[in-house]
Amino acid sequence: MVVNDDSLGAPSGDAGLDLSPRGVDPTFSRRGKRKWLPIVVLGLVVASAGVIVTQFLTSAIDYYCNVDEIGAKDGCDAGRRLRVQGTVDRGSVVDDGTVTAFSITFNDVSMNVRYEGDPGGIFKECIPVVVHGTLQGDTFAGDRIEVKHSNEYMADNPDRVENDLDSPEGSGCSAPA
Amino acid sequence: MSTRVARDRVTGTPFTRGLGIVTILGIVWLVIFGLFVTPADVNQGETVRIMYAHVPGAWLAYLAFIVTALSSAMYLWRRTRSLTWDRIAGASAEIGVLFMGISLVTGSLWGRLTWGTFWTWDARLTTTAFLFVTYIGYLAVRGLGGTHHQRARRSAVLALLAVLEIPLVHFSVEIWNSLHQEASVAGNTDVTMDGLMLFTLFLGVIVFTLMYVWMLLHRQRALTLEDMLDDSGLDRALAARRAEAGVS
Amino acid sequence: MKDAGFIIASYVVTFASIGLFSFAVLRRSRAAGRDIRPEDRPWS
Repeated sequence: MVVNDDSLGAPSGDAGLDLSPRGVDPTFSRRGKRKWLPIVVLGLVVASAGVIVTQFLTSAIDYYCNVDEIGAKDGCDAGRRLRVQGTVDRGSVVDDGTVTAFSITFNDVSMNVRYEGDPGGIFKECIPVVVHGTLQGDTFAGDRIEVKHSNEYMADNPDRVENDLDSPEGSGCSAPA
Repeated sequence: MSTRVARDRVTGTPFTRGLGIVTILGIVWLVIFGLFVTPADVNQGETVRIMYAHVPGAWLAYLAFIVTALSSAMYLWRRTRSLTWDRIAGASAEIGVLFMGISLVTGSLWGRLTWGTFWTWDARLTTTAFLFVTYIGYLAVRGLGGTHHQRARRSAVLALLAVLEIPLVHFSVEIWNSLHQEASVAGNTDVTMDGLMLFTLFLGVIVFTLMYVWMLLHRQRALTLEDMLDDSGLDRALAARRAEAGVS
Repeated sequence: MKDAGFIIASYVVTFASIGLFSFAVLRRSRAAGRDIRPEDRPWS
């Protein structure tokens, strides 16, 4: 154990003691053999931090717009890659097996969306979604759909009247305008 | 003596043993409530059950990183300088990384079911991943070697810088448009939550806190033992040289 | 339960990783504790 050795600094018996550094004796340094590990980990950390920042910045290039901001807000122009947020209109979803077509609305402005494939997640009518893609003509060609989740946590009660569920946060789910 | 070694609990004390029993009971309670007793959510369905592990994991990871920063400050402040603070900081950061990892994995499982994707480079997710990686780097820096006080000073400075990322993660949802919902319960958003769901979420926070305290005590003591072993290694080396030189 | 696989997996990941971490801490401290007498440990 840690011995409080007074003789260390004293001029007494230790005069002839050889205290010059030598190679690390593995029995005294338990961490000796793992010295490289922190350096490798640090390298990986710096590399992944770089990837994370790059990915975030390149994704941020897909401007995040609401439907009504397209063509109105700076950066939300037709023809460039965008992420568009809106609520899926009631009765607008048509899935023919390969292509899912629907329309989304935000602040009373709606837009048609074509998405190749099954959106997955909890995608359904009357929920807010974020579609990644490009506006081509008057249809938005989406290649990725994310379902934005609301801040409502409510028990799923089978007896509840269906209408209560359909307008989360007053997002105004309606038939396409 | 050798028969007593088997019963030697090393880092355990009556307090940690009691705490451990309470924690295990809490885990059982949380699993039963989280998986079976709470209702399914009206929008998320059964998926909401993942929240009871995901949200407490994230909160306790924040708490662990804040504890790391506070203990690091205690170490740097001359009047309270002690390696004990440094070891608390290190132990807390390890547990924080563990909790943050849990939160990332459970969050991505939840994201697959709800958003339809395991991962997206969204503000909240990206800043969280960055925070996670930062603290792995912090732990690597702790392992770089040097004396205990060199390790402590170096990592304490880093911990005080790294903790500044937490407000960035927390407010990322408000700074950038985000897919991730706003803070679930805290904050001034108009979140509405079913009573039993809210109760179970808080139960999760309490259970995760108990787990955190238990792990922190044990890990901090284990680090103390390892530091003592390093010191005794130096003592043994000196003794060997002394024997060599013929000094009594 | 719908999506039971994902939900149970998230609980398993959570508690298994915490269990593994705890186990590793106890094992390492036991190894270190062999060389340090109980009376030298500050908490006992």
